[in-house]
Amino acid sequence: MSTLLTIDKLVKRIGLTEQRILFEHVNAEVDQGERIAILGASGQGKSTLLRILALLDIPDEGDLIWKGISYRDSDPRIWRTRMTYVAQQAVMLAGSVEDNLKTVHLLHRQPYDQDLARRLLAGMGLENLDIHKRAIDLSGGEKQRIALIRSMMLRPEVLLLDEVTASLDRTNARLVEEQLTRWSQQEGTSLVWVTHDQEQAQSFSTTTWFMGNQTLLERQPTAHFFDNPATDLARQFIMHPAPAAE
Amino acid sequence: MSLIALSFTIIFVMVTMLISVWQKLDLEKDIAIGTVRSAVQLLLVGYVLQFIFNSDHPVLIIAIVGFMIIVASINAGKRGKGLRWISLYIAAAITVTELLMMGLLLGLGIVEPTPQYIIPLSGMTIGNAMVVSGLFLNQMKREVESSKGEIESLLALGATPRRAFQDVLKRSVKSSMIPTIDGMKTVGLVQLPGMMTGMIIAGADPVEAVRYQILIVFAFTSSAAITSILLSMMTYRQWFTSDMRLRSL
Repeated sequence: MSTLLTIDKLVKRIGLTEQRILFEHVNAEVDQGERIAILGASGQGKSTLLRILALLDIPDEGDLIWKGISYRDSDPRIWRTRMTYVAQQAVMLAGSVEDNLKTVHLLHRQPYDQDLARRLLAGMGLENLDIHKRAIDLSGGEKQRIALIRSMMLRPEVLLLDEVTASLDRTNARLVEEQLTRWSQQEGTSLVWVTHDQEQAQSFSTTTWFMGNQTLLERQPTAHFFDNPATDLARQFIMHPAPAAE
Repeated sequence: MSLIALSFTIIFVMVTMLISVWQKLDLEKDIAIGTVRSAVQLLLVGYVLQFIFNSDHPVLIIAIVGFMIIVASINAGKRGKGLRWISLYIAAAITVTELLMMGLLLGLGIVEPTPQYIIPLSGMTIGNAMVVSGLFLNQMKREVESSKGEIESLLALGATPRRAFQDVLKRSVKSSMIPTIDGMKTVGLVQLPGMMTGMIIAGADPVEAVRYQILIVFAFTSSAAITSILLSMMTYRQWFTSDMRLRSL
């Protein structure tokens, strides 16, 4: 598998007057088709890391290298179409569900792939949803899945997912996991998914990144991470997972 | 109005002072400063206008209109703290609006090219543009705060800052124009505008006063639209960093 993204010595500080390190020495790679679960206690900067990968936030030090080219030499617009971020709080754009699904088509003047939209809706348990309905009237779980499909319509090479099943019941969360895993296998899309659900992480991911002690503490194949974590902090985390919400 | 009659108006100030003392509002100092300032400022403006009207020199007209634009831009610029060169952008928007308005009014022969028409009409146009600019910037700040998720969702999908901001800009332009449009709907029914009232008190024919007021109301609508749209076009990039991230002001 070829490496798409290299994260090189990333540092992020927070606070305006008194700055403190959120994380430092973060080094990692994202390979094509790799499915990564990011785990860790609240406040370790998992969501911030995702936002940095999407260039919606910037690192204080270090580099992000996409196929050999630094983010500093890249057009943020093109970068974001390759690595697309889906936020935890789904935001519906004005108009109907269909208008939301057509966002990518309108933004990038691409043909609207109606069949793909239908397939993804069905795959996420939304086959009976009236797409002419106002998007703002959808339930939290429906909005979350529409936001996810809206991003998938862009066919990015990496999907950056920030707790995208947090507002779904177990059955629908499972459907989304399956759909995303299938999508990754068929399209070769890499997933970088922040989750607090260890069962979910074990079910979809091939690699686990564990954030703790203000850094990316472990980067292991998922089965290995859960069977034999390298650090005490990870072992404790697996035994006593932290409560959700960062 | 005679000077004696004018001096009697100090009674209104005295009444306000007495109420302040009686109710312990502690406003006496502010009222005194406000009274002296407004009297001195207005008398000075009166003499300056008298001088310009008598000289009828284009340079003096341009100078006073320029002064109005500078004061209006600095004042409205306070609503856009954190935005670089905002007063300059406002000045540019107001100047273009003023040039268009005066170009139309004078070019079509709607008003005569004399200081008596140009200066008051410019003052009203610039004043309205200043209010619209302030409203626009205030609304933009609120919109950016409340629509951060929407803007970033679009950026994350590869939208340009302009596209990600399109709806926010539209809503802010609309919101900044609402007071002008509402004023247009109720003018004469709810409030009698200052200029028309002033003309009538000064002895002008009420119908003639109304004609000028109609001109002002229509000109205000147009100047509000031009100012807020120009300002939105010139400043939207200020809300983003050079690498297309939303800036927090």
